[in-house]
Amino acid sequence: MAEWDGQGLPPVAAERVRRAAAGGAWTSLLTAPAAAALEVAGFDPVGEVMGSMVQRMGWQGYRGCGGYGWGGVPTTITSSDGNRFSGFAPYVQALYTGHGTAIGRLVAEAAAIGADGVVGVRLAQEPMFGNAHEFTAIGTAVRARSRTRPGRIFTTVLPAPDVTALLQAGWVPVQIVYGISVALRHDDWATRSQASWGAGNVEVSGYTDLIGTTRADARRLLRDAVRRTGADGAVLDDMTLSVWSVEPAENHRDHVAEATVFGTALGRFHAGAAAPTRTLTYLPLR
Amino acid sequence: MTADPTELGIPEDAMRRLAEMRPGQATSLFTSDLSVNEFLLVREAGFRPLGLVLGSSIYHVGFQMGRWNRNQELTVLSQAMYHARELAMTRMEAEADQLGADGIVGVRLDIEFKEFGSDLAEFIAVGTAVKADAPTTPDGYGWRNNRNQPFTSDLSGQDFWTLVQAGYAPLGMVMGSCVYHVAHQRFWQAMGNIGQNVELPQFTEALYDARELAMSRMQAEAEQLHAEGIVGVQLRSHGHRWGGHTTEFFAIGTAVRPLRADHTIATPQLVLPLTDR
Repeated sequence: MAEWDGQGLPPVAAERVRRAAAGGAWTSLLTAPAAAALEVAGFDPVGEVMGSMVQRMGWQGYRGCGGYGWGGVPTTITSSDGNRFSGFAPYVQALYTGHGTAIGRLVAEAAAIGADGVVGVRLAQEPMFGNAHEFTAIGTAVRARSRTRPGRIFTTVLPAPDVTALLQAGWVPVQIVYGISVALRHDDWATRSQASWGAGNVEVSGYTDLIGTTRADARRLLRDAVRRTGADGAVLDDMTLSVWSVEPAENHRDHVAEATVFGTALGRFHAGAAAPTRTLTYLPLR
Repeated sequence: MTADPTELGIPEDAMRRLAEMRPGQATSLFTSDLSVNEFLLVREAGFRPLGLVLGSSIYHVGFQMGRWNRNQELTVLSQAMYHARELAMTRMEAEADQLGADGIVGVRLDIEFKEFGSDLAEFIAVGTAVKADAPTTPDGYGWRNNRNQPFTSDLSGQDFWTLVQAGYAPLGMVMGSCVYHVAHQRFWQAMGNIGQNVELPQFTEALYDARELAMSRMQAEAEQLHAEGIVGVQLRSHGHRWGGHTTEFFAIGTAVRPLRADHTIATPQLVLPLTDR
């Protein structure tokens, strides 16, 4: 068998998609209530689809110093800043490439089997041996019972019952959106003294700035992603933050923060002020 | 009971919207960390989500030694917990104010002690800023509270919907904190009750004292907002990292005011869910 050149889908996946497109029994990751919910919204499952990519992720972009801003005032430098100190930009770029490629391959499979969208997508990033990481996206492809074909595949991390609730209220999922940012900050004198044992009750303004800036950058990237899809807004699924310290040189400590935000962009399709469906007050008997 | 989705035109309209979507069209984008059900209920309660808002602070919590054999509040620690939470909450409110919000719903207030430093904790407040479709409440006032700040509420979307249906408006999250050191038993006292099932009155009293302090502080905050009452109160205790005898007692709830005199809601229907959860 010829070696795969990394373009399109791997041969095994392409063959599976070809079989699925030819007809036969469909597979899905849906639970029974989820399948029933899709039925209510007017969607049929077409098949289970996935995308995967293994990528080597080195820290080759990291250049040591957290850096001082102009005039020696320490600043937080994010991966989006694009100056010579934003050393984590290649790392963040690798994360974007990983998730983006996995989702892209999932969408390619969905398109090949005639789907309009993919619901309940689960994204994962698993470390393998060495510096390799596997990025995966797996979900259930669905097709709308409609005459219009949107010409784009919608993707969402939301499970099918949530998708149905949204559709009934006049909202359609558009695309999985995310913002990822990594920032670096040099420990300056003020930070060291505020964080020292005898400092008493005091806010550590340097670290607060570090996490605030990192989260703000991730949220900004998410908003930009939503804007690019043409959607009206987004519901967030997951928001994470981790902070760790690095010691690039003797007596020199920097802190690094990584913030991620994942969600689904939504488009509104009902015109009126009120939702087309109204909530009924039910009391479950269990 | 279930209508035909095709008759309602749901898939057709949804697909047409996707087909017509062009990048960069929207002018006002919202982001929200509400769940789908919460998002839809908040919309139905007459509020539009404006955006996710958050405030955070990394805080160095000071140090105070409790007297070994005395029940006492550790005021330095109580103040730290108060001050840092206040910083996070105020920053979140400032973000919401900038968006022109009437309130913030689904607020989560968390503390996480960090691994990279000693006595360093991150205090974070996250919620969804909302704006009411109607400019005034049914009784003719604004939705903001008496400090002209957006109201805050840690109620879920479901609880928020029910609260508004029942004729109440949230005013703000109110909280009280008390870090308390519970005395160790004296030697002979400890020897005296080895192997027996007895009440330890000193311990009982300490826990009563500490909870009372936390709850009365929360109540005082509600009175400042001219609230009628507080709903959804949670009384938590956190050990954080201070060892077994030092505990934070933390009371938090949503202060509310009435929107109308009667507080009846439509009698709910009873259902038997077909899911096994």
